[in-house]
Amino acid sequence: MSKIEIKNLSKSFSNKKVLDNISITVEEKDIYGILGLSGAGKSTLVRCINGLETFDKGEIYFNNELLCSPTKKIDRLKRRRIAMIFQSFNLLSQRNVLGNVELALEINGDKENKKEKALTALSKVGLKEKAYSYPSELSGGQCQRVAIARALSLNPEVLLCDEATSALDPETSLSILNLLKKLNKEYGLTIIMISHQMNAIESICSKVAIIDKSKIVEQGELSDVFLNPKTEIAKQLIYSDHVKTMLDNNKMIRLLFNGNLDEPIIANIVQDCSILVSIVYADTKVIDSKMYGQVVIKLPSSKEDIKKLEKYLKLHKVNYEEVNK
Amino acid sequence: MNWSNLWVASYETLLMTIISTILAYLVGLPLGILLYMTSKNGICKNKFINIPLGIIVNIMRSIPCLLLIILLMPLTRSIFGTGSGKWFTMIVPLFFSSFAFISRMVESSLNEVDGGVIEMARSMGASNNQIIFKVLLKEAKPSLILGVAISMISILGYTAFAYDLGAGGLIAQAYSFYTRHTMDFYKYPNVWIIIVLIVVIVQLIQEGSILLNKKIDKRRKAK
Repeated sequence: MSKIEIKNLSKSFSNKKVLDNISITVEEKDIYGILGLSGAGKSTLVRCINGLETFDKGEIYFNNELLCSPTKKIDRLKRRRIAMIFQSFNLLSQRNVLGNVELALEINGDKENKKEKALTALSKVGLKEKAYSYPSELSGGQCQRVAIARALSLNPEVLLCDEATSALDPETSLSILNLLKKLNKEYGLTIIMISHQMNAIESICSKVAIIDKSKIVEQGELSDVFLNPKTEIAKQLIYSDHVKTMLDNNKMIRLLFNGNLDEPIIANIVQDCSILVSIVYADTKVIDSKMYGQVVIKLPSSKEDIKKLEKYLKLHKVNYEEVNK
Repeated sequence: MNWSNLWVASYETLLMTIISTILAYLVGLPLGILLYMTSKNGICKNKFINIPLGIIVNIMRSIPCLLLIILLMPLTRSIFGTGSGKWFTMIVPLFFSSFAFISRMVESSLNEVDGGVIEMARSMGASNNQIIFKVLLKEAKPSLILGVAISMISILGYTAFAYDLGAGGLIAQAYSFYTRHTMDFYKYPNVWIIIVLIVVIVQLIQEGSILLNKKIDKRRKAK
């Protein structure tokens, strides 16, 4: 069942189009990543889903029912089914952790057992013992956990994450991503996550849409988009720009790992073709326990060796492409 | 030296200041919230309210207190039965000369509140009332308290004009020494006692507000 469906959504600020005919379907229990550079419009898009922004054209459906459109305002009861967390956590500095979580319940008139409900939400994120601390006494990662607990206290069906890990160091960011994944698995929470960081998206998302200049340029299963980025912007986001800086006069090729290779391919090249290749850049990830990624190698100087290598790669069905300068 | 006179003058000054501050906040606080809410970046942006309101506030702020005392004489008389001579007659001009200033103080305290927390509250479906009472005022409280101290001290300064109304108070007493003895006024110890008393009052308000601010502001790490 589709949880959130965005249909042909467009929005302009004065004369500038910020979202151009966006359509996205997020299935129940998906972790859907929306990737794009800053200013691409992804933040505006996610704000349309919970009514923080209005839009000019299109509709958004929630559980196959119309949630909002240019003529229909978001319903208060439905809005509480869609929670949101932010890059800057947005905790009240003058309330303690418990008070911050209770705020969500108070706003929604849920006064009964609010303390217990808040404590339950805090234990879900592993911060029950910090209930009486103030945000200024917590680390960034802990603050984001409190924000997640606040979002969870209303038992939402969808969690919108607006650059939720961008302000955190890599390690903390990973622990927050793992927490999100756990919430998705254990409570069936549907997550829509926007980020400009590929590694945040690829570590937990099952599907991804790439937004560039107000439009969706690529969209689909993470492994498809990740392995075969077609547009320039997708390539830029997925293959970090490390490679470009390392280029010298030698030609290079990029070997792509698509999850079905189970052999040590580089070692085999060396052994079977007796060519010495040097690795310039490598970046591989395990997604759903399969290996994905890329290895950029410098081509051998003799033409003969290049032919041998090409043959070998074709034979073993390794995808590759030349790296352009 | 007349100690009982000084005592009476002190409490007249304090009462004038405190009552006027309270009354001015009763109007200035809601007005400041309204200014903030309807401003260009506010939650319910409304230039048809914000611009006229801003102009009225600015006009009120620019009328000198002394002029207000004279202009408001009929109003003071209709409220208290007398236009001058008693300490409480000062409350009317003090109130009118400070509520507009206070509304700006409140507005600037609210402006300090991080926009992110307001967006967070909106994302949860908070009503404007909930945003004001549960988020804005709560987050701005430490800064609002410092604002109260600044307002109170400037109202205390305005109580000097009580001399013109014959409304008493410490500053008016000191001033009366000047009018009676001109440049010799500093030779009278009463003048110096009054100055010390005023300094003490200002210090108490200022330090008290800083202490209170420190006590309630949770942004500082609790030790």
